[in-house]
Amino acid sequence: MKQVLKWGLLASTMTLLPVGAYADTADGEALVGKSWDDIVAMAKGGEVNWFLWGGSDNINQYVTEYIGGILKNDYDIKLNRVGLTDTVEAVNIVLGEKESGVMDKGSVDMIWINGENFRTMKQGGLAYCGYTDTLPNNQLVNWDNPAIANDFGVPVDGCEVPWSKAQFAFAYDTMRTEEPPRTIGDLITWAKANPGRFTYPAPPDFNGSVFVRHVFYHAAGGVDNLMGPFDQAKFDEVSAKTWEILNDLESSLWREGKTYPTSISAMEQLYANSEVDLTFNYEPAGVGLNIENGVFPPTTQGYGLTDGTIGNTNYTIIPFNSPNKAAALVLQNVLLSGDAQYQKALPDVWGTKPAIEMSRTSAEVQEKFAAIKAHPNVVPAEELAKAALPELQAAWISAIEKGWLANVGN
Amino acid sequence: MVGRESIGIRSFRFLTGALLIIWLVLPLIPLAIWSFARGWFFPSLLPKTWSMKAWEYTFSDTAGVIDSLWLTVGISLAATLLSILVGVPAGRALGMYKFRGKEFVELLILAPIIVPGIAVVLGIHSVFISMGLNNTVSGVILVHLIPTLPYMVLVMAGIFANYDPAFEAQARSLGASPLKTFWYVTLPAIMPGIIVGGLFAFLVSWSQYILTLLIGGGRVVTLPLLLFNFATSGRNDITGAIGMIYILPGIIILLLTARHLSGRSGAVGGFGQI
Repeated sequence: MKQVLKWGLLASTMTLLPVGAYADTADGEALVGKSWDDIVAMAKGGEVNWFLWGGSDNINQYVTEYIGGILKNDYDIKLNRVGLTDTVEAVNIVLGEKESGVMDKGSVDMIWINGENFRTMKQGGLAYCGYTDTLPNNQLVNWDNPAIANDFGVPVDGCEVPWSKAQFAFAYDTMRTEEPPRTIGDLITWAKANPGRFTYPAPPDFNGSVFVRHVFYHAAGGVDNLMGPFDQAKFDEVSAKTWEILNDLESSLWREGKTYPTSISAMEQLYANSEVDLTFNYEPAGVGLNIENGVFPPTTQGYGLTDGTIGNTNYTIIPFNSPNKAAALVLQNVLLSGDAQYQKALPDVWGTKPAIEMSRTSAEVQEKFAAIKAHPNVVPAEELAKAALPELQAAWISAIEKGWLANVGN
Repeated sequence: MVGRESIGIRSFRFLTGALLIIWLVLPLIPLAIWSFARGWFFPSLLPKTWSMKAWEYTFSDTAGVIDSLWLTVGISLAATLLSILVGVPAGRALGMYKFRGKEFVELLILAPIIVPGIAVVLGIHSVFISMGLNNTVSGVILVHLIPTLPYMVLVMAGIFANYDPAFEAQARSLGASPLKTFWYVTLPAIMPGIIVGGLFAFLVSWSQYILTLLIGGGRVVTLPLLLFNFATSGRNDITGAIGMIYILPGIIILLLTARHLSGRSGAVGGFGQI
């Protein structure tokens, strides 16, 4: 009986497996150094499963309709966009597969990733590396830029390809607030003068964590002392000051700091419903999309800090066990193209900053980029870039997050 | 069957019924309004601008909500059916017989509810990979049995604890075959339990997120996968639209089965304890 059941289950499984005639391109090393035409030919007729955060209809439409359309029409590749609530879910699938010995038939062909998740993938040997020179559009990427060559302080080493750049920015409602605070020092004074009108998501929320790092930089008197590998003595000194500032601020926060929003979207709702007066996000273009989608009041205005805000780059990565590596390479190459990066930069599509070096693109693409009219409520990327701060190495970031939980969020 | 009731009891029943409906329906109203709103901020009682954008996205090919709806209905129905097949005999054993290690078996059955899913889901993933069941619909149906079975088995055990097997013996002594006995005596008696347990099983399967994502490997896209993306990102309009579709099957099944829930039988004295 058991046998019958087992075979029955297996048989029912078989019928549901996709039957594809396209080439299996799980062997990533065989692809390195191959001519681009060969890779495109190997990818033809196949599919690629891209796992990425799925909480924005604009991004979903850009990926499925625009990018998916190019893959279908120009390369005969089927793009399967898999929406995630949290990127770590895709990392866990790959991790689980590796632990179970799935070395060449993985479910994930590509992930939108950066920071902590990239570190997990790279250190765990979950990433396909060393192929970036194979992509024709790799020449548009300036790998000499340390902000591209390092993902939250972790060297990229050819294990992922940049997709977009982002820089932390604040936003306020011009109907409610006349002049928002424009340095971290002013922000703390402002929050104390306006009790209950400010809060931040509790780390390890991505955006809450980066806000705490801004306070950390402020307490350190600048970021220059913090660059490089983790330094316990320096951390102890600066973190003590940081916790003092944040604990002192706590009673002036929303609900007297007894509780913190658990996610950035929870804080954005507080802001939209006038419970707090400031919001922030690592993706400054979000203000424009949120206004267009009715999440934020139309009088919302994004702005940067005069003492600088932290910037990062986000990437796409191919897991080591992806069976469709050729198709994933084609997808990465399309994403890096001037046209796709331009489309992504349009304010009504997404409005995010390109990760490619503008000067290396064709004159036509440069012209198109120059003609983009940014969303009037989004702080211009050039203005933010004037005062940009680097990210710390991952060890610092996790120490700060743990320290916040132990000393402030307890 | 029901005798005359005094006006007091009847109006009390009406009041509690009305209260229950309001309590159930009220939270859904903002959801419905949001799905047609473009911006809705405190202190406005109603949105200032109305829009069909959220519904347009929901019905677009990009969103894939409709395909996903049918897939989710299929998976949940299959998981419910399998739960009933396993849960009825298991519930009978637990409810009617005493045997060595019964407490241990009960604990094992309860374990999926007690142990947080996130702690075991990676282990389950690796077991399913080794059986070749990952990335398939059948794998997803099977993995849904882990959270659905405890509900089914416990409800059935409760039913069978108050079940009087003498009715079966009577039918058998009057010449009914075992199959006929089951069909005409046992099944009608335990039907309310099957319906309640089945409803639980359906709804538990209906709302699975992390098990579906991991075992389905992104190939099996059920409605919660689409809904939670937007619910966690603060898009109340699209969450509202997908949410309205998401609650439909549960309501339909509840309406279809509601009249069976009050079914009475001499063989079962209602829900009892194991």
